Amino acid sequence: MKGKIKSSNLIVHIILIIGAFAMLLPFIWMIITSLKNLTESTTIPITIMPKDFKWSNYIDVWNQLPFAKFYINTMLMMFFRVIGSVFFSAMAAYAFARIDFPGKKFFFMIILIQMMIPGQIFIIPQYIMVSKLGLLNTVTALVIPGMVSAFGTFLLRQFFIGIPKELEEAAILDGCNRWQVFWKVMLPLTRSGLVALGIFTSVFAYKDLMWPLIVNMSLDKMPLAAGMASLQGQYSTNFPQLMAGSMIAIWPMLIIFIIFQKQFVEGVASTGSKS
Amino acid sequence: MIKQKNTSKRSDKKLKVSEKDLNDYYWAYFMIAPTIIGLIILNIWPLIQTIYLSFNRTGDFGINQWIGLDNYKQMLADPIVWQATLNTLKYTAISVPIGVILSLGIAVLLNSKIKGKTIYRTIYFLPMVSAPAAIAMVWRWLYSSDFGLINYLLSFVGVKGPNWLTNPKLALLSIVVVGIWSYLGYNMIILLAGLQEIPKSFYEAATIDGAGPIRQFFSITFPLISPTMFFVVITSMITGLQVFDLIFMMISKSNAVMESTQSLVYLFYNYSFVMNDKGYGSTIIVLLLAIILLITVIQLKLQKKWVHYE
Amino acid sequence: MKKSLKKIIAVALTSIVVMTTLVGCGSSKTTSDTSGKPVTLTYAIWDKNQQPGMQAIADSFHKLNPNITVKVQVTPWETYWTKMDAGASSGTLPDVFWMHSNNFTKYANGDMLMDLTDTIKNSKDVKMSNFPKSLVSLYTLEGKVYAMPKDYDTIALWYNKTMFDKKGIAYPDGTWDWNKYLEVAKKLTDPSKGVYGVVAPSDDQQGYYNFVYQNNGYILSPDKKKSGFSLAATKQAIQWNVDLSQKYKVSPTQQQFADTSFATYFESGKAAMGLFGSWMVSEFKANDYVSKNCDVAVIPHGKTKATIINGLANVVSSKTKYPVEALKFEDYLGTKAANILQAEKGAAIPAYIGTEQPFIDNTKQFNLKVYPEMLDYSVLFPNSATKAKWYEIQNNTMTKVYTGQLTVEQGCNIIDKQMNALLATEK
Repeated sequence: MKGKIKSSNLIVHIILIIGAFAMLLPFIWMIITSLKNLTESTTIPITIMPKDFKWSNYIDVWNQLPFAKFYINTMLMMFFRVIGSVFFSAMAAYAFARIDFPGKKFFFMIILIQMMIPGQIFIIPQYIMVSKLGLLNTVTALVIPGMVSAFGTFLLRQFFIGIPKELEEAAILDGCNRWQVFWKVMLPLTRSGLVALGIFTSVFAYKDLMWPLIVNMSLDKMPLAAGMASLQGQYSTNFPQLMAGSMIAIWPMLIIFIIFQKQFVEGVASTGSKS
Repeated sequence: MIKQKNTSKRSDKKLKVSEKDLNDYYWAYFMIAPTIIGLIILNIWPLIQTIYLSFNRTGDFGINQWIGLDNYKQMLADPIVWQATLNTLKYTAISVPIGVILSLGIAVLLNSKIKGKTIYRTIYFLPMVSAPAAIAMVWRWLYSSDFGLINYLLSFVGVKGPNWLTNPKLALLSIVVVGIWSYLGYNMIILLAGLQEIPKSFYEAATIDGAGPIRQFFSITFPLISPTMFFVVITSMITGLQVFDLIFMMISKSNAVMESTQSLVYLFYNYSFVMNDKGYGSTIIVLLLAIILLITVIQLKLQKKWVHYE
Repeated sequence: MKKSLKKIIAVALTSIVVMTTLVGCGSSKTTSDTSGKPVTLTYAIWDKNQQPGMQAIADSFHKLNPNITVKVQVTPWETYWTKMDAGASSGTLPDVFWMHSNNFTKYANGDMLMDLTDTIKNSKDVKMSNFPKSLVSLYTLEGKVYAMPKDYDTIALWYNKTMFDKKGIAYPDGTWDWNKYLEVAKKLTDPSKGVYGVVAPSDDQQGYYNFVYQNNGYILSPDKKKSGFSLAATKQAIQWNVDLSQKYKVSPTQQQFADTSFATYFESGKAAMGLFGSWMVSEFKANDYVSKNCDVAVIPHGKTKATIINGLANVVSSKTKYPVEALKFEDYLGTKAANILQAEKGAAIPAYIGTEQPFIDNTKQFNLKVYPEMLDYSVLFPNSATKAKWYEIQNNTMTKVYTGQLTVEQGCNIIDKQMNALLATEK
């Protein structure tokens, strides 16, 4: 038995390692580039290792841009977007998954339609809305488009559907109203789903480039991705600095991800047949 | 699907049922309200504005002129739009199946009892957390025909690497690779969450019954994860049909492959924001929306065939 | 010397303030004079390299007008115009911002810019005669000036001294014509080493536009009503430029340029010569290889001398909340002092004629004086109200011509037809 487990584990590891290498290759290249000087990074033919390790690129980029402000703005943006979208989406998702109400199909169509629309068409109308509210160049402006999420609603609805109805019905028989069923029974069972949604909302907030650049003006109101775009000039870009900046910018997301990974506890969700 | 209603109860319960239903309805509306209202204001209204624009010849700064279906007539006769539609469909048709299958495979492997899961998950998720600009730049270098790393490595095994980004037949495929690479971790996480909803007891029972891992996959894993799979397939398709960033950042404007690579959203961006023709750009978006709607509706109808709902 | 200059400026500005309070600012539309109260203006730009220069100007202006603070805000080029568009549509444009010739007509026609004619008339230090005529005409619409020229750029010939030395060839000296250019390019091309004599991409401003005008052709007729792509002279010039990569093979192909930019070829010593605009100076400066091995000379000439000139300008939003203060700053931007500050920080050649010296001195390793030297025969980068559309058609078609998918004749005819159709829709 033990021998069997070991060899199948080995195969799994080999496959995962090959995949991991493919994932990492571009990052390794990014790190190497961040340590080159400008000329080396653009010279053809390409040199692999930098001649000298220019750690000063990191210091230069850090001094050039207000990274501390970028981190804070990004954190705030992610935090509020996550709270808003997870909470509102979970509520709506439960209603769509478990309650048969008039107009359900119509409202769900709205959810699906939003997901199908390319985000680029929202930018100018939303800009005009935000400017009318007097919220241009604020962190609040960064949060607004992400407070509700069609995607999140759809995702959680799928998870809620996967939960056996018996659990709910038991609670209803016990006298719980819908809200209590939602809050006390359903939410805890979709922990993985909620965490997944939280992670995605964070990632999409983090990667949002166009919106912050358009709605905010000063560097100190920018989140990380937009702040770093300022390193790209009209005609030339300091590639090593851009790479160094990217390396500095990765950490918040990475740490959040690592922390929340622990929430992916094995086999917690859905005990179904056991009770 | 069997609706489970309390039909076995007596008539006096009927009154309670309708009262209860009403209560349910109020809760339902309350619970969907923030999301629906938010979406209508932030997203549906701009959509209506966009559709309106498609019937206009747009001038600078909002001075428009109604022209009815002229933009649509022009679009239907425009070979560039047809090519872009083809490019977009091709991109989606290739990237979605491969991407989803790979993500499922990795998710299943990462759901098993092996060490180092956290590390693997983090590595596979890395592409999602990096600055898009940096990623595009790096991949462009990797793909560079004369000076890129990929062709450099290929030269060691005596193969002359092709023109990844400048050969019209290859460029779209090269972008597909980057697209799959970028979203692998994302889909993997969703599928992992879904996998973890499946009770271990099911697998234990199956093992006791003598079923091997492959049999278990097809009779337990796949059906139970199908709702999540459905979500992943639909969202990947929609994302694929909306592809823009990758093309924008990896194909320079003076690259002759642009016509065989540009997507509908790229065309929209070009017309609306570069050439200042928001009317025509909006028309293209409406076309894309119609395509996405059609494909999604087909998917929704097909889901009955393979998605297992309780 | 500087102190008395500042005094003059201070007096000039004070008199403007006095005059405007007495007479009323002719072109502004709104509000009372809020001079004295602290005001913050937003000044939008797109080039991070020039931020130190703009900040220096903002600081020096603040010293002269302590109640006005100017905030310089950088938005990357790719997003800049989307943002300005959104701002224009919602009445939230920055108070003062950079204008590019490609977009000028659109903003001026759309009443988004403040008319500066009166401000300039009443200004002590700012006169339009201080700026190159072509730039002034670029930013004038129906006799009214809507933008203050800020800088200009011309196109010059950059070359790799080391590569020339190795083959014992004399450096370009300003007398070169097309034949000499090609002749030297052939000598410097070495296919076995992957080295080329020149880079000849499908770029217009840094490429064929120059040759078209040198051949007595044109891209856009002076009255902006006709396309020049049907002219034999234009086609001939473009053919010659295309031949460099396709026939004579002294330049990498357009397909290669799609992978590796033409600037990179030059910066890596893989091409000995190339035409580059003065905006490339800061990039070349930062590159060790170019700094050590390359230099710049006057552009070669064809039947006549020509180089493409373009320039940015500063504009004021017509809906600014602080017209008086914004116009004060705008005026300051057109003074000699401000232009000298710009030159000192080195990223662009200031528009004020005679203030280029600091720009030249800032970069001793390159012979930058050739850029202003070419002013006399510079030709304005063509633009018109529908440029955004014909520019796109032109570029897409030219890419196909340079890759050989279309002949020069076919490509030029396509562009000519569509460009004329668009020009016909302009007033």
